[in-house]
Amino acid sequence: MADLFMFLIISAIIFSIGSYGIITQRSGIKILMSIELMLNAANINLVAFSSFNGDASGQVFALFSIAIAAAEAAIGFAILVALFKVRDTINLDNINILRW
Amino acid sequence: MFSEPDSIFPALIVLLPVLAFVLTLFLGKKLPHGGAYLPIAAIAGSFIISLGVFLEIYPDKIVQQSWPWFANMNIGILIDPLAVVMLMMVTFVSLLIHIYAVGYMSHDPAKPRYFAETALFTAAMLGVVLSDNILQFFISWELVGVCSFLLIGFWYHKPSAAAAAKKAFLVTRVGDVLFLAGIVLLYVNINEIIASGRFSVASDNYLLQFSTMFEAAKLIDPTQLTYITLLFFGGAIGKSGQFPLHGWLPDAMEGPTTVSALIHAATMVTAGVYLVARTFPMFVATPATLGELYPSFFPAHVPDALLIVAYIGGFTALFAATMGLVMNDIKRVLAYSTVSQLGYMMLALGTAGAVLGAKAVGISLFHLISHAFFKALLFLCAGSVIHAVGTNDIREMGGLFKKMKITGTTMMIAALSLAGIGIPFLNIGTAGFFSKDMIIEGSFEYGEKTGDMIPYAFAVIAALLTSIYIFRLWFMAFTGKPRSERHAHESPNVMTRPLMILAILALFFGFTQVGFYGYLEKNFELMGVEMAGHEGEAPEIPVIIILLPVIVGVLGFLISYAIYYKRWLDMSKIISSSNPLYKLLLNRYYEPKIGADIIGVKLTHDVVAQSGEFVDRKIIDGLVIDNIIGKTTFSLGEAARKLQTGVVQNYASVTLLGVGLLLIVLKLVGGI
Amino acid sequence: MTAYISLMIAIPLIGAILAFLTKTRQQARAVALVSSGISLLISIIMLSRFDSSLAGIQLDEIHSWIPSLGITLSFGVDGIGMPLVLLSCIVIPLTVIFAWGETKEPNKFYGLILLELVGVLGVFTSLDFFVFYIFWEIVLIPMYFLISIWGGPRKDYAAIKFFIYTHIASLVMLLAIFALYFNAWQITRTPDFNMFHLLKNYSLLDGWLITNVISIKDAIFIGLLFGFIVKMPAVPFHTWLPDAHVEAPTAGSVILAALLLKMGGYGLFRVILPLLPFSDSPGKMITLMAIIGVLSILYGTFLALAQRDLKKMVAYSSISHMGYVTLGAAALVPLSVSGAMFQQFSHGLITCVLFMSCGVIQHSAGTRIIGDLGGIAKYMPKLTFVMLAGFLASLGLPGMSGFIAELLVLLNSYANLPTFVILALFGIVFTAGYHLWAMQRAVFGTFNEKLGHIHDGANYEIASMAVLVLLIIFFGLYPNPVLNMMTTTATPLVRDAAGLVGVIV
Repeated sequence: MADLFMFLIISAIIFSIGSYGIITQRSGIKILMSIELMLNAANINLVAFSSFNGDASGQVFALFSIAIAAAEAAIGFAILVALFKVRDTINLDNINILRW
Repeated sequence: MFSEPDSIFPALIVLLPVLAFVLTLFLGKKLPHGGAYLPIAAIAGSFIISLGVFLEIYPDKIVQQSWPWFANMNIGILIDPLAVVMLMMVTFVSLLIHIYAVGYMSHDPAKPRYFAETALFTAAMLGVVLSDNILQFFISWELVGVCSFLLIGFWYHKPSAAAAAKKAFLVTRVGDVLFLAGIVLLYVNINEIIASGRFSVASDNYLLQFSTMFEAAKLIDPTQLTYITLLFFGGAIGKSGQFPLHGWLPDAMEGPTTVSALIHAATMVTAGVYLVARTFPMFVATPATLGELYPSFFPAHVPDALLIVAYIGGFTALFAATMGLVMNDIKRVLAYSTVSQLGYMMLALGTAGAVLGAKAVGISLFHLISHAFFKALLFLCAGSVIHAVGTNDIREMGGLFKKMKITGTTMMIAALSLAGIGIPFLNIGTAGFFSKDMIIEGSFEYGEKTGDMIPYAFAVIAALLTSIYIFRLWFMAFTGKPRSERHAHESPNVMTRPLMILAILALFFGFTQVGFYGYLEKNFELMGVEMAGHEGEAPEIPVIIILLPVIVGVLGFLISYAIYYKRWLDMSKIISSSNPLYKLLLNRYYEPKIGADIIGVKLTHDVVAQSGEFVDRKIIDGLVIDNIIGKTTFSLGEAARKLQTGVVQNYASVTLLGVGLLLIVLKLVGGI
Repeated sequence: MTAYISLMIAIPLIGAILAFLTKTRQQARAVALVSSGISLLISIIMLSRFDSSLAGIQLDEIHSWIPSLGITLSFGVDGIGMPLVLLSCIVIPLTVIFAWGETKEPNKFYGLILLELVGVLGVFTSLDFFVFYIFWEIVLIPMYFLISIWGGPRKDYAAIKFFIYTHIASLVMLLAIFALYFNAWQITRTPDFNMFHLLKNYSLLDGWLITNVISIKDAIFIGLLFGFIVKMPAVPFHTWLPDAHVEAPTAGSVILAALLLKMGGYGLFRVILPLLPFSDSPGKMITLMAIIGVLSILYGTFLALAQRDLKKMVAYSSISHMGYVTLGAAALVPLSVSGAMFQQFSHGLITCVLFMSCGVIQHSAGTRIIGDLGGIAKYMPKLTFVMLAGFLASLGLPGMSGFIAELLVLLNSYANLPTFVILALFGIVFTAGYHLWAMQRAVFGTFNEKLGHIHDGANYEIASMAVLVLLIIFFGLYPNPVLNMMTTTATPLVRDAAGLVGVIV
């Protein structure tokens, strides 16, 4: 029980760090890194619950999400590279074309 | 051979013209005379079969054949005396008119269409006559109406013809809807008495067969029966051009004259009379409540439905005759005359039905058939005249007798027949003399027994007017100086031969009177229907009453002779637009204005339909959909759009805030 | 187990994909004609195998799909579905023939038409509510594109209006389906999307109130009814129809009026009638349906009278004719219900002729405004012939299929809904009025020289219309091939509701 709780605490801390990063940072790269942190926090939870329940499906899902996270990071970076070529910046404050 | 239960011949009476229709429609262009010989041969075949059937079943047999159709309906054939006389008349007149049309329509490029449509019409009309159930009757009745629509609008490139065709269809449609409502009501009532266990349809019969209807009529709630019969009569009013749905018939004269002769004189318009005659036992069975409720207005002991039939018929006979007096279009005069004569037939059913029972059918049908002969003859003569002078306006004719001896003579015979000229007591006279006299005497007898002389008065005055307008027509067209340049000539033989045959019938058909009445009287007995007996002692008819119809007929002749031949009287004072009565008549009591302009265009289209359009486009679509629902959604979206700052961090913060709030709320509520 | 239905649906689907891939017009239309023709062939074989004396589902087939949610791919037809399957398989090949000359992006055009066939066939044969809904939505998409690509000047407006309107109705219906599904799941403890099981389970629901206003049973009922009557469409949810028709290409209008509207009526018979006896207030629901039906009849008639655009007039006449379907269904007498079903079938045939006539006139004269036409019969005799036949059929001429349908509805509804039938009878005169008035002004009379040189319809156009006219006359004279199966199916359907008749006003 205590073990699970420790994992959850760690996961929550990592998640909070990630979300703090997303909110405060302006650089696209840093935000992507923060997102990775949040995803991995979720993965920790999945693995922890999985081992706690003795059911492997949680770990399977963690693998899934790692794979997807990799794909997503690749696309994210690609977008940032493309943006940098066009706009000479990856500061997200300047990239607000989704605005109304 | 013709009348066995499984004989195919009765069905062939209808199927031959149908076949002719299909063949003429598709092959007519390649055949001489537009394929006219196909319908002529087919209708001749139908006539021969009808004659054969008649000879086999006379005097006391009927033919009945029936097959299941869809749902609980059937399709069938019933040839009883009523049907067989109609069959012979329809096929014979149609045959003559088809032959005549070969000449009359010879210059028209659309001949195949004409002959196809008239063949279809004949088939539909024979369908009406042969029906053994009210639904099939209605279906044929509607098909007849559509053929009439097509043929009135035969020259569709003329706007007036297109408009007249539409008017004819719509006005009769009003009647048809009433008829349909009557069928619905009948169906419901029969089902009701079946459900309550008081009635069951005989094993080889169907729900809407006439024999079933007559059986059921005794059990149906009497008030409902009155409604049913009156709704049926509504259909008859539309089809037979009775007041107030008479306006389409004069307009229908836009069609070729042969069409007017066939459809709007001899056959289709008489279908209304035939309907009332066909369902006559139901009319007779209606209760006599009007007389009880309003004894000061209505005679006692006359079935309600018959009373209304008599009054509408009598009034129409007079009403239409007044307009016939002033029309200048030769065909319109004849059209109003048709309306008026149809009124007589209705009158006969109403009045004689109330006092003589089943005999009324014979009286009415006899006039129907003699009218078919002389009126078809009048129209064909008019066609011959129009063919010769190229105008419909009798003011532009005149002096035609010298050039058109056959047409003039035959038309005079027809006019004499229409006016009912003959010699009483010797029983010599034209067909109209026998048939119309009997109607007038019947309504006198009705007056004697019930004390209600109004229908009789209608009939006598209308007879006088009839005689005046028809001889006016003849004198204006055939005597005096020619008033148009055009060189008139007698029509070819193919046209004059049918005239002669019809003239012979118009002269001598009357002599079959006694046998005819006897045969038709048994009609409903043969179907196993008992009619409530109204026999009683026949009152002594005074000599003056017997003489009166002929006297007014001759009087009418003399008046016309004086005015239009000898010109002893100067009519220019009376016939002028400053005379309000003349104006009223010439404008046909403003019926076209009221019917088409006010009710049709102004009320229905401009007010009801356009306000519906307004509601639809401006209120439902404009206000509710576009403005209220559409605009609200749009402005909500517009407001919510502001939240989209485009800064990812804002979105993330809001998301986190939201999740946090959710957690707190759940914690407080105790969900976690 | 047979596989007619899945084959019949699969072939146009494959045909649609092939048509999208073709390069030339000739290939595309050949693919469309062949694949829809094969479907027609299959439907005729089905008809010959179909036993009209049995009320239940026939030719059924079942394939498992998502067992954990109780969803199966199950198909089958009965007297409700079979005629409409036949209608769809008749109309689509004829539409392809009629649109033989399409030149604008023909591969997509014919492909979308085939997709429509897939959609409607799926709707008319699915026995699983989930699959039914999927097909129901599939139908929308090709029609949206047919209007928005090949449409008239205001095509974007019309297409989006059509889509939003009918989609909202579908969503409401979806909510109702889910509500039914989950509530039934709670009671029976097994997930099951089978349509008949769900409809049966409806009677098990207890009428708990969602709010104080309405019980769950009534909410489900009204949700489903709403989904169907918008599609029919019934007044007052009809305003998408005239706009969609006016802008849609002729083939689109034909499919829209002949098949898509029938989905609404199909829903009434398949779903609403079995539920009706078990809803919390059946009397009110019957009255509601009768009012909607008669209102549609009269309103559609008068609105048609007011129109200046021939095609819009025909669109409103559809609303009016579909009113008979609602009225007949509401009357709950076996023959009135089968009359209403027959009205669906017959209207599907008749309305094709009308819309095709409008299309030919538009194509030839360049306008559909009645006042701008006039006397075109002179140069378009063949069109006039078939068009007149279509108009006469539409105004309910005996001997044509529309008459039989309307007659059965009127005759048999009177016992239960007398007032409404009398009102509907009034409409008949005006129905004849607007048809003939339009004919008189547009087709007859003197030729309007401003129209310039006009030509008659192409042979393939006239031919497809002529086939339809022949079918209309055939079913008008001999309706039994489809009417018998309708009556057989309608009888048990109504039997349950028989006890309720006393409730009606």
